[in-house]
Amino acid sequence: MDTLQKLQILADSAKYDASCSSSGSTRANKNNGIGNGNKAGICHSWGADGRCISLLKILFSNCCIYDCKYCINRCTNSVKRATFTPQEVADLTINFYKRNYIEGLFLSSAVVKSPDYTMELLVKTVSILRNEYKFNGYIHCKTIPGCSKELIDKLGNLVDRLSINIELPSSTSLKLLAPQKEKDGILDPMTYVSNGIKQNKLEKSKFKPSFVPAGQTTQLIVGATPESDLKILKLSEGLYGKLKLKRVYYSAYISVNNDKNLPTLEAPPLLRENRLYQADWLLRYYGFKADELLDETHQNFNHILDPKCDWALRNLDKFPIEINTADYFTLLRIPGIGVISAKKIIKARRSFALDFEALKGLGVVLKRAKYFITCKGKYCNQVYKFNQNFIETNLIYQERNSLPRPNFQQLSIFDSLQPTKEDKIKCLTGSL
Amino acid sequence: MPNWKLINKTFLYDGTFDGFLTIVFDCYSNKTLPQKIFSEAEYTFNFLDHTTYIETDFEKSKRVFNGIEKSISYTTLYNTYYAFLSDEPEKEIFILKYLCNGFDIGPKINNMLTVSYVFKVMNMKKRCFGECHRLKGLLRFQEIGNNLYYASIHPDNNIIEPLGHHFISRLPNQNFIIHDKIRDLCLLYNGNEYRIIDSTNIKIPTISYEEQKYQELWKLFFKTIAIKERKNARCQMQYMPKKYWQDLIEEP
Ligand code: SF4
Repeated sequence: MDTLQKLQILADSAKYDASCSSSGSTRANKNNGIGNGNKAGICHSWGADGRCISLLKILFSNCCIYDCKYCINRCTNSVKRATFTPQEVADLTINFYKRNYIEGLFLSSAVVKSPDYTMELLVKTVSILRNEYKFNGYIHCKTIPGCSKELIDKLGNLVDRLSINIELPSSTSLKLLAPQKEKDGILDPMTYVSNGIKQNKLEKSKFKPSFVPAGQTTQLIVGATPESDLKILKLSEGLYGKLKLKRVYYSAYISVNNDKNLPTLEAPPLLRENRLYQADWLLRYYGFKADELLDETHQNFNHILDPKCDWALRNLDKFPIEINTADYFTLLRIPGIGVISAKKIIKARRSFALDFEALKGLGVVLKRAKYFITCKGKYCNQVYKFNQNFIETNLIYQERNSLPRPNFQQLSIFDSLQPTKEDKIKCLTGSL
Repeated sequence: MPNWKLINKTFLYDGTFDGFLTIVFDCYSNKTLPQKIFSEAEYTFNFLDHTTYIETDFEKSKRVFNGIEKSISYTTLYNTYYAFLSDEPEKEIFILKYLCNGFDIGPKINNMLTVSYVFKVMNMKKRCFGECHRLKGLLRFQEIGNNLYYASIHPDNNIIEPLGHHFISRLPNQNFIIHDKIRDLCLLYNGNEYRIIDSTNIKIPTISYEEQKYQELWKLFFKTIAIKERKNARCQMQYMPKKYWQDLIEEP
């Protein structure tokens, strides 16, 4: 089989993994080699699904010995199978990199023969890149659940980022849909890597290679199993807090197999995925706690309003907020005010007190924020009443107007609400 | 703009960054502001204008360059550099006011976003920086000779130099040409140093079999990686506007 055919099969198998970013690498170009990291991350193209393409995202092999129910490559499916050689992957990466198609490599694999056997192939590939080609670009590898600690060490010293996908948000679901994987087989290596990173930072020296410098990430599948948004968000909160994960990715479940234990979804739950990403931002950059955003009586996110608006409406007693005196984290709690706007406000109000015109002049979008703020003690003059009913009606009216037409194939109009363009951008730049 | 005299003059210069900094030097020394500033190539003669041509003086420009960082701030220098790459027709006047006021009041100037010319400069910087960052990703090299790579770009702003710097630090052993087809400029890098030259007729040889092979692989990867259940052409267009497609290898 030639490289072209292999690439077709193994890129196709890798496409469902949501993690593609290359951010956070500060690896410099050393030893006169090829490439360097970029702190901000660079997108090289955008696919037909609107997702950024930054890394050569492929599986090393899709010949799997496991039988996870949700996976296209489970051993009981009849799909075309292929396996690269380490040299092939290294050459592909280098040649794509030299032409500026990619920032680096994102390599994962199905379990070929055994977890350790597969891990060794991954280590071989990455060591050709780093040692023979002196490649300093970005490398993200997925560790294979159940492999040995020595191999995790070896791989961790070569790559920028490691990930182990949890995939299913609870051990019951895991047992049901991925019977050969155990929760411990996933959480143990995560803890191991997390400790390794901590240790490496403490002992940082010139002579020791850095261990997973860009941190570890994981992915959760949303909508394949019955966990609520609250449960998922609590899990993420724990992963960020205890294991210091860099990112948790959420991937809307896409039906690829028929199985009695799997739901049949007409379309992937993209809006739910988007709401989780928005809430995830609120956890990481805005100082929110999962328990504030959702609770037992309110376990899932609102379809029409983003998590922050939703939270604000339930906590109107904390509003209105005075733009000229509130501190940074309070400003961040105002719907529609993101990190960039909050920083601009703080900077600008040092020179003089801000009114609504000045806010507009700064480029702060008031569409949502105007209901929740005062400037020099005054409400915006489009806000006639400060009460939940008035604000909620207006916000929903605004959102509904900017949402695309519902897709007629789907049953309920609410299920089909797609994230708006604005939501997407804000999600990406972090300004919710 | 405290105690600066507005004079009824139009300054012309050679359009280079050094030329512009020379004007800044003169204006600052005389405490005067001209009515308009144009690069000579872009200027169309007008009876009402009193034009003066300002000769580029590298000594003066160097002093201003260092002076900005010393007496205002590094950020101001950075803003000035990127804003100057903008295609905005009156960029010079905005930057001049920004700098002159900056010399008076110091680094505070960067916070005064409600002052129109400061806001303008920040916006120009943002657009140039943004386009440069975008092209760091969207630029495509083709191998046109042994270890010689070529890329064409059609940017809105004149960002060839910072773009070149990015690739020099990333691919230091690779010889390359970046060709700005809008401005007919070429940045040449030989693994050691770079130069920017005018290039009205650069001829690109036909590409090799090896190059074709990698282009095919990339096109295939590009098509395969999209999830068809999540098709979203609007999102794709928004991040990768059509004007950039002509220089890509893949076909979005
Ligand atoms: S181990 Fe990975 S590749 Fe194999 S069936 Fe499970 S999810 Fe699929």
